Amino acid sequence: MKMLAVFEKGARLRHIGHLDLMRAMQRALRRSSLPIRYSQGFNPHILMSFAAPLSLGAVGLREVMEVSLDGNVTAEEFSRRLSQALPPDIRLLSCRPVEDAHKPPMALLRAARYRIEPRGECSLTLKDLDAFLGKASIPAVKKTKSGEKEIDLKPMIHELMLNDGKIFCTLDLCEERSCKPELLLNCLCSSAGIPAMEARIVRLLLLAEKDGAFLPLEDA
Amino acid sequence: MNPAQEEILEKLLEKVQKPARYTGGEMNTAVKPIGECDVSFAFCFPDTYDIAMSHLGMKILYHIINKQPWAVCERVCAPWPDMGDAMRREGLPLFSLESRTPIRDFDLVGFTLMYEMSYSNILEMLDLGGIPIYARDRSEDDPLVVAGGPCAFNPEPLAYFIDAYMIGDGEDVMVQLCQTVRECKAARRTREETLRALAGIPGVYVPRFYDVAYNDDGTVRSITPNDPCAPEKVRRCVVTDLEHAEYPETIPVPFTDIVFDRITLEIMRGCTRGCRFCQAGMIYRPVRERSMDRLLEIADNLENSTGYEEISLSSLSSGDYSCLPELIRALMDRYREKRVSVSLPSMRIDNIVKQSLEETSKVKKSGLTLAPEAGTQRLRDVINKGVTEEDLVRAVTDAFDSGWSSVKLYFMLGLPTETDEDLRGIGDLAQKVVGAYFSIPKPRRAPGLRVTCSASVFVPKPFTPFQWVAQDSLETVKEKQEHLREYLRIKGVTFNWHESGLSFLEACISRGDRRIGDVIYTAWKNGCRFDGWNEYFRYDAWLDAFSACGLDPAFYAYRTRPFSETLPWDVIDAGVTKEYLMKEWEKAVRTETTRDCRKGCNGCGLQRWKGACPAYENARGV
Repeated sequence: MKMLAVFEKGARLRHIGHLDLMRAMQRALRRSSLPIRYSQGFNPHILMSFAAPLSLGAVGLREVMEVSLDGNVTAEEFSRRLSQALPPDIRLLSCRPVEDAHKPPMALLRAARYRIEPRGECSLTLKDLDAFLGKASIPAVKKTKSGEKEIDLKPMIHELMLNDGKIFCTLDLCEERSCKPELLLNCLCSSAGIPAMEARIVRLLLLAEKDGAFLPLEDA
Repeated sequence: MNPAQEEILEKLLEKVQKPARYTGGEMNTAVKPIGECDVSFAFCFPDTYDIAMSHLGMKILYHIINKQPWAVCERVCAPWPDMGDAMRREGLPLFSLESRTPIRDFDLVGFTLMYEMSYSNILEMLDLGGIPIYARDRSEDDPLVVAGGPCAFNPEPLAYFIDAYMIGDGEDVMVQLCQTVRECKAARRTREETLRALAGIPGVYVPRFYDVAYNDDGTVRSITPNDPCAPEKVRRCVVTDLEHAEYPETIPVPFTDIVFDRITLEIMRGCTRGCRFCQAGMIYRPVRERSMDRLLEIADNLENSTGYEEISLSSLSSGDYSCLPELIRALMDRYREKRVSVSLPSMRIDNIVKQSLEETSKVKKSGLTLAPEAGTQRLRDVINKGVTEEDLVRAVTDAFDSGWSSVKLYFMLGLPTETDEDLRGIGDLAQKVVGAYFSIPKPRRAPGLRVTCSASVFVPKPFTPFQWVAQDSLETVKEKQEHLREYLRIKGVTFNWHESGLSFLEACISRGDRRIGDVIYTAWKNGCRFDGWNEYFRYDAWLDAFSACGLDPAFYAYRTRPFSETLPWDVIDAGVTKEYLMKEWEKAVRTETTRDCRKGCNGCGLQRWKGACPAYENARGV
């Protein structure tokens, strides 16, 4: 069986990278004495995966991972044992058992919702947002491993709003196409004609898609 | 740290390299509120987080202090220069990892002294912490600055900056020190009175209660107590019962990569071999083992509380542990299910039994490290490294036969009496190791032979039989390095050597007197810090500091001391007596070896202390 778990990566751990976080989770699983499964081979590793890496400096409020387990473990037991083994700034929020055949969260992931918190004053207005979304296309340059790529952000933005000086947005996040919130903010600022802003990124929710509508990844 | 400071910190962390070094919040770190404890201790490590968190002594003392219900210990590391500069610019004081409390708000600020070339970082940390650097400038409100660790055996170079030293094993004296501070605090004693009380604890050295007088030639004439609280000589602390000594049940588990990211199991302390260059071998006497049962208990505690994937056995000479193969087998059996691997660092050559090689190889084949130290039998006898060429060749042959293909060999350059013959010997030895590899039939040996020879520059250390000798001059060292490079032009062999200017300064400081403090201060003022890191080491700035202070570094590094000279560290009784060290020096010159003291007491001096050396007392039926 597998356990699908939702956890928070707290503000204090913003600068802990993806691989370090994975290792911290693996060690927590080892401490939990849950019946975790290991891969075969010369360097066995714990069978678990995260839905999506979180960029350095970002906080994740509802991150999703799956853990392969030997035998039956109830959600309550998993939650109790893993919670005890986690460091204070990683909190387990919920979990549910799924079949081995259940698609991994990485494959189900479609988009993510973010809160972008500019440092200092946020000089963006609702008008800027409307003007931005009103464009026929939003060209942007995306940096990839193989170089720079011209992309259109417009179809990747599913939600964009401003509330109390903070930007809320839902952006594509899957293998085929993804838009980072930092990139969105840069394009938004240049469209509004204001200097680029530094911001703290909070990933609020990971999303899957079912029948044309988004739903929380852990429920898919 | 107040909210404004938190804000500044958050901003800085966006900009600096490796911000995860400063975030804290690791598993098993202290969560005691400082305000609810009688005594707070900031355990400062004068190097980066990645080094600090690999250090066993810190983990032991962190655990011991936090185990006292009335005390709290938090960790502090030296910020990398980019962070240090940013903190200074923004006025952010040096803070602890756990609760982000500025270090000047602690009762005690303690430094561990592992390496002389980290001393400039101590000044940097005090300064970043807003604590006056010279002890004499501190007021009633400032923390007490204390220190311990192997380099504290010569406390003089930092005597101007450290209020009190703990000499020797820290397990017991640390608790006594904190307890005394607790009592003094409750009784509202002044700083001076508290230091007097500390000076009364066995093993504590308070430099201000000693006067140093110098001869006209610059040598030390005397170090004498100037206060009735101070003993003539400070006797080093020895934990006689290691079996029942505290050992952490949990240790912090860092998020980021550190140098030794694993469980360290200290299987024994001390070493009976008596290598004459080795300070650790002298100052950690006698050898004390932990039982297998106790080690398995410790391993279980730590494995369950950390989730680490690797356990490493640690001691000065793990191969000498009396039931090494049994211990390795027991650990492997116990943790096979949990996929924990077992590794063995710092092996001596002569007793690497093939069996234990095979045991460790079942899990992981990490590189094999051997330390012949010198290239010829003659020189190995001079330094009393009781290892023969046969031992080495047998050990590496066994290793190659068991699937190893990578071997590291450690040597020292500039040992007393060294000649070109000895350097050639290093080349010959490397050649023989290569030969041993090719003696294994091709299908049996692992491909990709890698022999790495490292030659560090010998630094004479206090409390060794070589404490009186002159270090080789920089020119001689460079010449020898050149020759050695020629001798090691062998296919499959790589040669690493060390920055000789660094070893020269290390030699100056390690046998320095109190006046060296001003040199360290001046060097730091000139911008020196992280001297142990190539990219920050500024040799010229150090030389400038020496001349600004009117001191000649050659006086400290290149001078042969007569036996009659008062040495700056004579104020410490390390257990091993001066007479013994003299005798050992004379034997070294005669190329005479001294037996392993487990084969019979050599009278090193520890036998003077009742209960200190169990082997000696058992042999005498005491």
